[in-house]
Amino acid sequence: MIRLSLSRMIFVLGTLSFGLVLICLIALATGPSNIGFGAVVDVANSFLRGSADTAAGDASFDIVLRVRLPRLILGLLVGAALATAGVIFQALLRNPLADPYVLGVSGGAALAGIVVLALGGLLGISTSFVPIAAFGGGLLATALLYWVSGGPGRSGPTGLLLTGVVFNAFASAGIVFLASIAGFFDGSRIFLWLIGHLSAVEIDAAGLVAVSVAIGFGVACLLSRSLNLIALGDETAAQLGIPVDAHRRWLLLSTSLMVGAAVAVSGLIGFVGLIVPHALRLVIGSDHRLLIPAAALSGAGFLVLSDTLARTILDGRELPVGAVTALIGGPLFIFLLRRAQSKGPLS
Amino acid sequence: MIARVIRHSKSLARFLLAFGLGFGVLFVSTPQGEEAAELLEPTLAPGPRRLISLNPSLSAIVLRLGEGQRLVGVDDYSARLMPELAELPRVGGLFDPGLESILSLRPDRVLLVAGLEQETHATRLAKLGVPVDIYPNERLDEVLENIQRLGTLLGREQAAANRIQAILEMRRAVSVAAKSRRRPTSVAIVDRSPLFIVGSETFLDEMLDAVGAENLGRRLAKGYPRGSIEWLIDARPERLLDMTPGATAALEFWSRWPSIPAVANGQVVDVDASRISLPGPDLDRALRELAIAVHGEGIEVDIRRAIAERSASPPMREDELVDQ
Repeated sequence: MIRLSLSRMIFVLGTLSFGLVLICLIALATGPSNIGFGAVVDVANSFLRGSADTAAGDASFDIVLRVRLPRLILGLLVGAALATAGVIFQALLRNPLADPYVLGVSGGAALAGIVVLALGGLLGISTSFVPIAAFGGGLLATALLYWVSGGPGRSGPTGLLLTGVVFNAFASAGIVFLASIAGFFDGSRIFLWLIGHLSAVEIDAAGLVAVSVAIGFGVACLLSRSLNLIALGDETAAQLGIPVDAHRRWLLLSTSLMVGAAVAVSGLIGFVGLIVPHALRLVIGSDHRLLIPAAALSGAGFLVLSDTLARTILDGRELPVGAVTALIGGPLFIFLLRRAQSKGPLS
Repeated sequence: MIARVIRHSKSLARFLLAFGLGFGVLFVSTPQGEEAAELLEPTLAPGPRRLISLNPSLSAIVLRLGEGQRLVGVDDYSARLMPELAELPRVGGLFDPGLESILSLRPDRVLLVAGLEQETHATRLAKLGVPVDIYPNERLDEVLENIQRLGTLLGREQAAANRIQAILEMRRAVSVAAKSRRRPTSVAIVDRSPLFIVGSETFLDEMLDAVGAENLGRRLAKGYPRGSIEWLIDARPERLLDMTPGATAALEFWSRWPSIPAVANGQVVDVDASRISLPGPDLDRALRELAIAVHGEGIEVDIRRAIAERSASPPMREDELVDQ
């Protein structure tokens, strides 16, 4: 493990923060309309001067503040949540293939959200309740996961992983069933949910996601040193005085909260939680004190950049951002895997 | 999960590429007046006696021609959307009809629409010895031709010709009525979230053109493309025709972007998809209601006048109908 110094931490996080700011500016100044950086500055000036009312009829005002900015904010939060969750689950489960969706939390969230999408009409529930239902589904799945896998003191990585895999399979079956009986419109919404998108996000949901990300990220940062030791093995961590079960429980719950909130607003965006942690480990090492904030910054940047591509490459038409992250993430993952293999056999 | 998503995405892409077949699943409403009585009228006309329809637009045409009693099975959407067909055996969805269910009903003709997915089923059915008829229905002319073909198949040529005549007369009348009016730039929304709009080379695009609306969706793509909100705001439509089924009021939804001229001028219109979006036998009604949605109630007087003036002149010859 590369030694972590304060100057190294400042350099890495400073560089990533600078990159993230650049990506945010690009995202705000890019879109299918011809509203570039100058217009963004004008809108920002207008907004800061409090003359929003006079600008309310201006298309650039609507596009920058009411279309691009909400997506940017949600993209930042969801990307940070997924990448941070990927780092934590890979360490907790000591499994390099673990991603934010491996434990079934996403399955629970997706199933609950899709129940509302597919059956909301019959049940008299508006589709605006989808994020709330999904968030609740994620929490229920977390509780179920913990209960089935043995609860406090018995929740080893293998039990958690197996329970998650089985629960995900169950949730997938439920989703496929609902998709099969859904009509065309509900079917297309379910499809987008499964592949992940930010096109329908409402800024109202940002508060829920922000609080969940803050809790998950805060707990992860506080317990990052424990995570370093847990990643080496439970016995090693326990011998070094880490209350393994308690810390695993806190990490599991807070991360699940974060993933549930992310899935609730954006569906199942793949690869962010898998590719970002692996790429960062190759570059900055595996110290979670640095890896966790670096993953949050990188995940946010990766998702915002992917979303900018998703909404611009087809000139007025949109791709689901999950398709873009998969198109970028798949080949990149293979590249990283080959590179890691070339340095020696994978354990 | 990913494999399932990919399978689903392929189905959706096909669905959207050939949206004419998918769009027909939206809704259908019951015909009224004397033609409604024909639905229950027993027929001794020649042609297949045991029909299965795998698309709501075709089911609606069969019903409208008064030959509903020949249907022995329908797709899920037809059964769900047309009360007259609710009790018939269902043979599955548009893309996953059950071959076994179809064969067990011993059809002497299966009706389906053109499109990759349904044509695959057509091939399989043909190999099993089931006669299959394929009907493209993405363009207005194709829908009219379908009415004519089904009329011939079911021995209802006159009823079919009457329907076609009614639709063409209405198309002419709304065009005449709209001629003296400005062509407002418009975006017709099939679904808000995700945003799907009416693009070029669709029967809805042709209907928008006929009623005197400039469909901005044509610039985006053909078919029913998924658009972005930013594109829509930037396009600055003067009319927003929102067909999203079962959604909150359109103006309430779209008013969050007040720079859209249609929002600023109160020209966001909730359009009842159940009366407009089926590429079936009631496109005359759809044209009239679309004209009202675009130009307001005032155009109805002009439409009636155009129809009345036409009635006073000799009926259209067959070559005139074709020209239109």
